Amino acid sequence: MHSDPTDLIGRAQRGDRAAFEALYRAHVGRVYALCLRLTADAAQAEERTQDAFVRAWERLGSFRRESAFATWLYRLTVNEVLRRRRSERRREQRVVGTDDPEAFERPGDGTAGAMGVDLERAVAALPAGAREVFVLHDVEGYRHEEIAKLTGVAVGTSKAQLFRARRLLRKVLNR
Amino acid sequence: MEVRLNEYADGTLADRDRAGVEAHLAECAGCRAAVAQLRDLVAGARTLPRSVEPGRDLWSGIATRIAKGETGSGTRWIRVALAAAAVIVIALGLYRLLPTSTDLDRPAPGWVAVDADFDRATVELTRILATQRDRLSPETVALLERNLQVIDRAIAESRAALARDSGAANTELRELVAAAARQKVELLRWAARLAES
Repeated sequence: MHSDPTDLIGRAQRGDRAAFEALYRAHVGRVYALCLRLTADAAQAEERTQDAFVRAWERLGSFRRESAFATWLYRLTVNEVLRRRRSERRREQRVVGTDDPEAFERPGDGTAGAMGVDLERAVAALPAGAREVFVLHDVEGYRHEEIAKLTGVAVGTSKAQLFRARRLLRKVLNR
Repeated sequence: MEVRLNEYADGTLADRDRAGVEAHLAECAGCRAAVAQLRDLVAGARTLPRSVEPGRDLWSGIATRIAKGETGSGTRWIRVALAAAAVIVIALGLYRLLPTSTDLDRPAPGWVAVDADFDRATVELTRILATQRDRLSPETVALLERNLQVIDRAIAESRAALARDSGAANTELRELVAAAARQKVELLRWAARLAES
């Protein structure tokens, strides 16, 4: 019996790298967008995207098709980003990431008035904890219970971070 | 009030609190505006592009790392497995250097039991690993199998050499069998631990 040649996941699970590359091509945009929003840094987002796909290859055997592959992959990506941030947080202070949204006003951007600051940029300027919860909840649609598990915080903390993120965003976007 | 307005905007506010918030909103223009802003914000977040292409192709870096077998915990595992295999290769080298006419002692009384213990441990660990192996990456499984083959060959060759010696008392050969068997048990243990992690 021959396996379905279009079954990229099955082929990748059997070690077929070409199949895995096809899966990468199909999902890299979504994974990178997630990494970019969570890290607010293009270079880090590229690294985390690569980490996520390497990790996915490693853990492909544990994917049992109980959920969509995309769901499994994006959750793995979130885990990878958060895991790396936890380990790096102790070592370094982020260049961006402060409680004061005004600190992210970029010099020379004179055309951007109060309404010119777009949401994407405002989200990138949020403090890391608030940004992560905002991205996971409001952009990606995770529930607080899921976010609490992923980030290792209490549900109440997840809510507090979300409301803080929204407060900061409203302040920036409605200025 | 901020928490309730957020939960109201999200539609997650408890029924018992909703009427109170709505009564407040009817009288407070500021809070009505806040709810409208929150809803706009959430709607805006949902419409952000789901996909953003990276500025460069990332596949080559991924392919290189996959080819190297580089992973987080997996890297350590692969190094350990390779180290185990290296020990066996060294053991094989030593075995081949042994003179065939080595004087044989009688088998130590505990040897048969030790050999049987290794077999039992190997069978048990192999059984455990068989139930967990789909949690390992295909690369790791392939590497594991290659290393097990090396070890199994070492054990088979050492046992065959022992069998050829009627006295079966060659201490060095027994030590080689024991060393290879220990490596196999440890390799299986590490693999099972990795699969469970």
